[in-house]
Amino acid sequence: MIELMNVKKVFNAGNPSEFPALNSVNLTIEENRVTVLKGPSGSGKTTLLSIVACMSRPSAGRVKLKGREITSLPERFLTDIRRKTFGFIFQQPNLIKGISVLDNVMLPAYPLGEQRLHLKVKAMKGLAELNIANKAASKVEWLSGGEAQRASIVRALINDPHIIIADEPTAHLDTKLSYRFMEIIEKFKAEGKTVIITSHDPLVFESSMVDRVVNLRDGRIEDKPA
Amino acid sequence: MRQWIEKQRYIIDFTISSLLRRKVKNFGLLALYTLIVFMLASTMFFTYSIKKEASLILKDTPEIIVQKIVAGRHDLFPVSYIDTLKKIRGVAAVESRLWGYYYDGLVSANYTLLVPPANGDTSGKSRPSAKTTVVVSESGGQQADKSKPLFELGGAVLEPGTLITGNGIARLRDIGKDDYMPFRAFDGSVLNLRIAGALSSQSELVSSDLLLITAEDFRKLFGIDNRYVTDVTVAVNNPSEVEMVASKIRKALPEARPISRVEILRTYDSIFNWRGGMMIVIFSAAVLAFVIFAWDKASGLSAGERREIGILKAVGWETSDVIQMKFWEGAVVSLTAFFTGVILAYVHVFFTGSIVFEPALKGWSSLYPNFELTPFVNLEQLTTLFFLTVVPYTVATIVPIWRAATIDPDSAMRFTGE
Repeated sequence: MIELMNVKKVFNAGNPSEFPALNSVNLTIEENRVTVLKGPSGSGKTTLLSIVACMSRPSAGRVKLKGREITSLPERFLTDIRRKTFGFIFQQPNLIKGISVLDNVMLPAYPLGEQRLHLKVKAMKGLAELNIANKAASKVEWLSGGEAQRASIVRALINDPHIIIADEPTAHLDTKLSYRFMEIIEKFKAEGKTVIITSHDPLVFESSMVDRVVNLRDGRIEDKPA
Repeated sequence: MRQWIEKQRYIIDFTISSLLRRKVKNFGLLALYTLIVFMLASTMFFTYSIKKEASLILKDTPEIIVQKIVAGRHDLFPVSYIDTLKKIRGVAAVESRLWGYYYDGLVSANYTLLVPPANGDTSGKSRPSAKTTVVVSESGGQQADKSKPLFELGGAVLEPGTLITGNGIARLRDIGKDDYMPFRAFDGSVLNLRIAGALSSQSELVSSDLLLITAEDFRKLFGIDNRYVTDVTVAVNNPSEVEMVASKIRKALPEARPISRVEILRTYDSIFNWRGGMMIVIFSAAVLAFVIFAWDKASGLSAGERREIGILKAVGWETSDVIQMKFWEGAVVSLTAFFTGVILAYVHVFFTGSIVFEPALKGWSSLYPNFELTPFVNLEQLTTLFFLTVVPYTVATIVPIWRAATIDPDSAMRFTGE
């Protein structure tokens, strides 16, 4: 379970360009559920997601992960939690060009020092599950948009995280690929993973597998959807 | 421990693939860096070896040279002064020398004319000097140098009407043994001297422009009376008393200038040592080029590199992992450049005769000596070069990476395009 208590995030604090992205957000995200953070551009979805996923710190407030306060942890510990607990699927595939799909997929596991053979087997299995095992040796720039998205999903799963974070995952996918993506999410849910998605795509937040939709506007959670 | 080793392997693998991904940029960088190290190391090897060579030769030069000074300029030394010098306590021997320069308008070159020491007495009688007069040796056990003669006459007999030439002159004038070489004497008359032999090529550093001549011909050529010599050399009984003897000479002969060997060595040092003269000029230029290059590297982290760091951090790499990776990247480039540059410089200086620097550094205007330097490598200088290049470059690489690596990983989430 993830708890956010009175979380605030201000960018460029003290400058004329100061911008409050989140205002006193209180939220509880339950385990083994699919939660969608919905809202227009600039509503604070991505900021909230990055705080939940230990990628950035709130300016004020507290975040608890499984009952443990993580806001004040040093960067090293946060990284460790992020690495072991979260898998990230970005709006863009964010794959590193010039290296193979397999190498990209294995990247998050490098700092853990897992045995190479074992890691490779795991990565190949993940690629096979998403039907891109035949692209393992290809360079990422040769992949189609859908293939790149799937490669980034395999990468998100390489450390077997308990929580999957997806930021606008269907923003650059066509309808067919978006449905394919939601099927993958359903599979995660079936495996007992917690999924948190930011999206303003009806295909995502109106999906039957979504357990909860949280509406955001101007950095606040709306009680009733607009 | 195994996990740690595996992690390092992954990081090094990723570093190498990172370097190869930006082949053009990294090879360009490597080439420029190697060139700078090559320039610095070549200058260092060259000047150090030439200095060493010169100091080995100077080691056997007289402890004190005494010249006569008139109006601040070097004048001919009266033979009558020699007795005064001999009377000074601590002086072991005094020997007179005859030497000078001759400008050959035909080839626009200046020759050094020298009467070999055995000929240099004031009696006017010239005795043939059939063998080496000065032998270069080094205390450091350089076997090759112990038998290396400075003036090897190769059995050629120097007698009035003959001369022995340096290799540079022989090459320049395209002349050899038994050919005649005309000289215009002080009074306009022509003095035709037969070449009795050539000097050994081993000693070319100092003998390229040298002509050995008898005292009789020397005096005839320059119109120098028997009562004068060019200067005199003084040997001292106790080497620690050189300065004392020099001050006694100054007192006994106020118009004389004693020059000690230490002073000559110091002059060579200030010209060729890395702290002074030639070295400092070239070194400063190369170091300046290096600083600009390192600064450019330090301030220029491309958008692609920043994005890559953001991704790595977002997927779970620690700041220290990213810095470590970039440290290895910098270390691989700088160490490769350093060793390649140093090896190329070694080959350049000691095997190709410094073809790049030869005209600029050897200092002969028309008469280039054609000699091979004995490889002398000074560990202290190599260490200095290492700390002047590898360390600043690596630091220059780390600083921007550290700045980029400490940003929040959520920046990767905000990339909306390439």
